[in-house]
This record gives sequence, structure tokens and C-alpha cells, in this order.
Amino acid sequence: MSQSDATLVLDSVSKSFDEFVAVADLSLQARRGRIFGLLGPNGAGKTTTLRMIVGITAPDTGRVEVFGQKLTPVLRDRIGYLPEERGLYRKMKINEQLRFFGELKGMSGRDAEREMDRWLERMKLSDWKLKKTDELSKGMQQKVQFIAAVLHDPELLILDEPFSGLDPVSVETLKAAVLDLQAAGKTIILSTHIMAQAEQLCADICLLNRARKVLGGSLREVKRSYGRNAVALRVEGAGDILNDATLVASLKQHSDETEALLAEGADAQELLRRLVQAGARISKFEQVEPSLNDIFIEKVGGS
Amino acid sequence: MSKLLTIIRREYVQRVRSRFFVLATVLGPLAMLAFTVVPALIFKINAGGPVRIAIVDETGHMYERVQAALLRNPDAEEDAGEAAEQAATPAANAGRDPGARAPQSSGRSPEVSYTLEQVAPAGRAPAEVQRALNERVRRNELDAYVILPRDILATGKAEYYARNLGDVVTVRQFKSRLSEAVSEQRLIDRGINVQFVHDSTRELSLATRKAGAAGAAASDGGGSFGLAFGIGFFIYITVLLYGQVILGAVVEEKATRLTEMLFSSVDTFTLMMGKLLGVSLVALTQFLIWAGAFLLVTLYGAGALAGSNVHLPHVAPAVVVYAVLFFVLGYFLYATIYLLLGAMVTTTQEGGQLSMPVVFMLAASLWLAVPVIRSPNSSFARLVSLIPFSAPITMMARIVAERPPLWEIALSLLIGFATVALLIWLTARVYRIGMLMYGKRASIPEMLRWIRQE
Repeated sequence: MSQSDATLVLDSVSKSFDEFVAVADLSLQARRGRIFGLLGPNGAGKTTTLRMIVGITAPDTGRVEVFGQKLTPVLRDRIGYLPEERGLYRKMKINEQLRFFGELKGMSGRDAEREMDRWLERMKLSDWKLKKTDELSKGMQQKVQFIAAVLHDPELLILDEPFSGLDPVSVETLKAAVLDLQAAGKTIILSTHIMAQAEQLCADICLLNRARKVLGGSLREVKRSYGRNAVALRVEGAGDILNDATLVASLKQHSDETEALLAEGADAQELLRRLVQAGARISKFEQVEPSLNDIFIEKVGGS
Repeated sequence: MSKLLTIIRREYVQRVRSRFFVLATVLGPLAMLAFTVVPALIFKINAGGPVRIAIVDETGHMYERVQAALLRNPDAEEDAGEAAEQAATPAANAGRDPGARAPQSSGRSPEVSYTLEQVAPAGRAPAEVQRALNERVRRNELDAYVILPRDILATGKAEYYARNLGDVVTVRQFKSRLSEAVSEQRLIDRGINVQFVHDSTRELSLATRKAGAAGAAASDGGGSFGLAFGIGFFIYITVLLYGQVILGAVVEEKATRLTEMLFSSVDTFTLMMGKLLGVSLVALTQFLIWAGAFLLVTLYGAGALAGSNVHLPHVAPAVVVYAVLFFVLGYFLYATIYLLLGAMVTTTQEGGQLSMPVVFMLAASLWLAVPVIRSPNSSFARLVSLIPFSAPITMMARIVAERPPLWEIALSLLIGFATVALLIWLTARVYRIGMLMYGKRASIPEMLRWIRQE
């Protein structure tokens, strides 16, 4: 990928708090018009990384560049940020808060009003426009906060755990909004520890564990490089074939199917042939890609 | 710049519209009134009515004189001639009907009025007389009785028996009136004209004027002392009130986790100054409302407030300018400290504890104003009026008492505002990190590290 294509570049970035290393030697690039997933368990350094991107904290060493240059106050207006620590002024009306946040991003009051009406409508919050934060539910507050992050139509949108604590309907509403923004050419950085969401949304990922990058690249590449030989099976009368250590390394029983991880050097075709020969009834035989969840657990769980 | 205005506007509008602001604006002056006027009024209340005293006159000739002294109109005391005249007149019936005179004695100080009664020993033994009087006091027919011994003029001793000896005002006044009566009697016994003594010992009136000030216009009777304290007290109250508001405003953003949203949009300095200036404008608004209300009251309702006794000292325009400058200095100096404290703590309660030394510093400079005003050019006064934390109050005291050389005032202002700038710089360094640190109060070593950090 070319440099000009990258909205965001982190180059060997490190950050420590006293003795505690939060981020160590992290490099990554987020491309325009794509959703980049910053993944990892709690405490891996995701939030610190995002804070360095929006300029809340400065890296100890390394370089952070947005839109091809170092962050400046002007560039900051082109970034939208939904922090993990959600916060709104408790006694302030929703429309006033959104206008305030819009103006802080350099919008005129009129533009802010217009855009907020559009977004409140979309988030089904129009009736709450004149209410104070205290009167809203947690989920509603989170949607308001999301609006505050996107109101000024940022080119780079940074979302720290955007779906946590939301009901399923709201999650879908928000996901649709995120995908629309991506379709409109915005670059989106999304941090999450829920791999299923990342798998659905992200084109590129970076997996952090204990301050370090353990995996990175496009989702497809990552999965391919993790091309474990696994087969999802629904079979009757397989006999001892599945217990043959030269073929199958391990078995995982799901509710109505079995996942067989093939042994080193074994071929799925060989397994299928043996099963057919043995006269087993096969209702499902599917070579499976590892899920991001599997990769995550394998990379992080053991360490 | 426009972001700074956005933050100032939010801070201002939200606060001015709040119920707290409206309440404070209305109740503030009422509270002031309650703290100044009400105690004076209460002090003046003479709940018990006239004090009923029986006088046992063993000398046989002191009663009239004592009666005259006790019932003397206090306002007339100024006029020694009249007083002496009254003293000389044996007001025989006054003792029977003192109520008619009592209302006159409602002057500035809580004047005690008396209902007097003469008790003649009539050959009874002193102990018997006393027993009878004790009984009457017990039955609440009398409040007190006094025994004037036969040799009172020689010994200058008398005995006062009362149900309630805690009423110190009555006892003190009674004692001084009785002394007057006794000394008058002594003078008369020696054939000295009482009138003459009164006239010749009348206290002179001392006109106090500021030396060097243009002529007699600069008459100043303790007014400057009051003015210096007024300004000092005003700084004190403002800082206490609005320092707390600033602290709360900072902690609120921390508590509601707003900091990250804000820091991703504006730089620390803008955010910090926006808060400081926004709250300051709220304070200014409140003062303007109060000043307006005060003007209205003095223009239209001065008589109702009995303000006729209050003479505002004549204030030179230069003093007004200095007062504004030093007020602004004092306000921002302490307001910045509160801002810093707000960034360090996690709750307003914690902030309250940490602000104790600040309040102490402020109160101390108010106390320091006393020695400073008494000798405004001593080296001590010079020193404390240059130290930025006490300068606003003490330098103002010096300016009002005896104008120091201009360079000293300028130096004091310079040091003061340089300190404000330094504090703002320090606070900006601490603010960002402090604000992002939740759940734990910053320690001093931590803060020092933040300041050194880039």
C-alpha cells in the first residue's frame, strides 16, 4: 500500500507510565475508506494507543502521523473520537451538548444544529433532544456520545469499544452507521475485544497483547496465514477414523457437529476418502477457516 | 480563539442559568444583611423591659442623686451642661414614673431603663431589710436591689444583689451611673460647681485629616481603615465563593469522564482558561447584579435601611483603580490555585480539604492588614505587600492608609501578575495529566514529575 493511501501511520510507538509499559514499539497503518480493528484483551494497550492517535497523550518514542503529517490543532478537527470512558455533562440538554461538541470541532452553530437533527433522527433520539443527560438511559447516552464523535463529519473516526453496553437493536443501528461512514470513504479505527464484531466489520486488524503487536494485516491475510487444517463434520458411523492420530490432531465437539483439527501434513481429502470408504453417513463436510476468536485465543490465551 | 469562546460561553450560560446562581444572587445580600445588621439589631433588643431596682439608701441623702444619674437621658450626656442641670434638679417624682422616660433611651447602644424604688431602712436591722428584699426578688417583684452604705462616699463601695448577674450590660451601666452619682456628690460636698467640672472635663473632639491631601476635603475618620478592610474582605469572600465553584467545575468534568472528549478537541490551555474565565464572568455578573441592586436601594430606600448613620468614605479615583487591579490580581492568583487543586483531586470533598491551606493564607493576609495599616511604611509592611499571596490585601491597605511610592505598587503588581502567569503555566502542565487520572489523588512528588515532564 502507498503512504498517501494511509490516513494514519504509527511508527515504532512506545509509551510507558512509570515502570508500566503500556505500548511497546507499535507500528501500524490504517488505510482510507477501511475499517481498522485494534484488537486485544483488556489492558493490552488499545486505549493508550487511541489516546496517542488523538493527541491526548504523547508517545515516549516513535511517530504518529495523521493525514500524512504530525497532529496539529487543525488536523484534530478532522478526527472524531468516541472514548471508552463515556461522558456527557449531566445537567445539560442534549442539543446544547451536541452543539457544544460540534463547535469545539470547529463547526458553526447552525451546521451543528442541522447535523444533530439528522443524526438524532437516525438514532431514534429526536424526542430526547431537549432532555438532560440524566433523563436518558445508559444506551441512549452512548448513542448521543457517538453522535458527538461523528457530528462534524470527521475523515478519521476513532471508536473505543463502541458497542459495549448496548442492546442488540442499538448495536445493529450503530453498526449500520459505521458501515455507512466507511462507504462514504471515512477511515475508521475500532477497538474491541469482541472478535465476532471485528470479524464482521474490519478489513484490517492489529492484535495487541501485553503492549505488543502480536498479529497484523488484512483480515483475509491473517486468516490465510492461520490456515489451520480444520474440518467441520456432521457424520455418523465414522468408527475409529476420527481417532487416527496420523489424520486428526484433535476433536472439538460442538452442539450438532464436530470440528476436527487435522494432523500435521494430513490432507482433508484423505480424511473424506477414508470416511466414505468406511461407509459413514456424511451430512456435512466443510473445510473451515479459523475464526478470529480462535486466533485470538490461540495467540493470547496461552501466554 | 473561537474554541475558547465556546468553552467560556458554555461555562457561563450553564452556570448563570442554574438554580444555584439565582439562589446565590438573591440570598447573598440577604445573608450579608443577616450577618451584619441582624446581630446589631438583636443586641439592641431589650427583651426584659425596665429593670426594677430597689435602692436601700443608708446615707439618707444619696437617693435623688443616684436616681437622677440612672434616669439621665444618654443622648443628653453629650451636652454636659444639661446633664449637670438635671443632676442638680431633684426629680422627686421621676422614680414613681420612669416609664415615660424609658423610650428616650433607645440610642445606639443598648440603653438600660430602670424602674426605681427607694427603700427606707426605717429603723429595721439591715439583715431584716435585706431578707424582705430577697423575698421580693424571689417573687419576681424586683429584679435587683442595691445597698448604698453610710460611708459610700469615703469607701466608694456599694453592694448590688440581682436575680440575674449574667446581664453584664445592665451591671456595667449601673456601675458607671452609680459612680457618676457618687463623684458628683463628692464634688458638691466640697463646694465645687458640678457644672464647671463637667464643662472642663468634656472630651475634646479630634478632627482626623490626611496630611498632604488637598485641604480639608480629605477628612478621614477611620474610613480608610474600613475601606482597606472592605476591599480585603471582598477579595476574601469572592475567592472563597468562586474558588469553590472553579474547583467544582474542574472536578465535574473529571467525574463525568468528559475530559477525554474535550482533550481530543482543544488543547489544555484553552480548556483551562475557558473554565477560569467562564466562571470569572459568572462572578462578575453576580457582582454587577448586586452593585445594581445596592445602588437602587441607596437611591430609593436609604432611609428605610437607616443608612443615614453610614458615611461612605470619600475615595480617590486612583484608589478605585488600584482596588480593581489588586482585586483582579488577588482573584486570579487564588482562582488559579483552585484550578490546580481541582485537577489534582477526584472529588470536591478532597478539594475542600486541600484548599484549607489556601483559605488560611487568605485569612492570614487579612489579619496582616492590621499591623500594616497601623504602620504602613514599616519594613514588615513593605515585605508582606510584595509577597504575591498577601499583596492584594496588604498593599491595598497601605495604599489606603498612606500611599506608598508608585514603584512599590508597580513592583507588587508586577510580582503578583508574574506569579499568576507562572501558576497558570504550572497548572497547564499538571492539568492534562491530572485530569486524565481518575480515581486517585495526585501526590506532590507526582505533580513535580508532571511539571518536569515534557
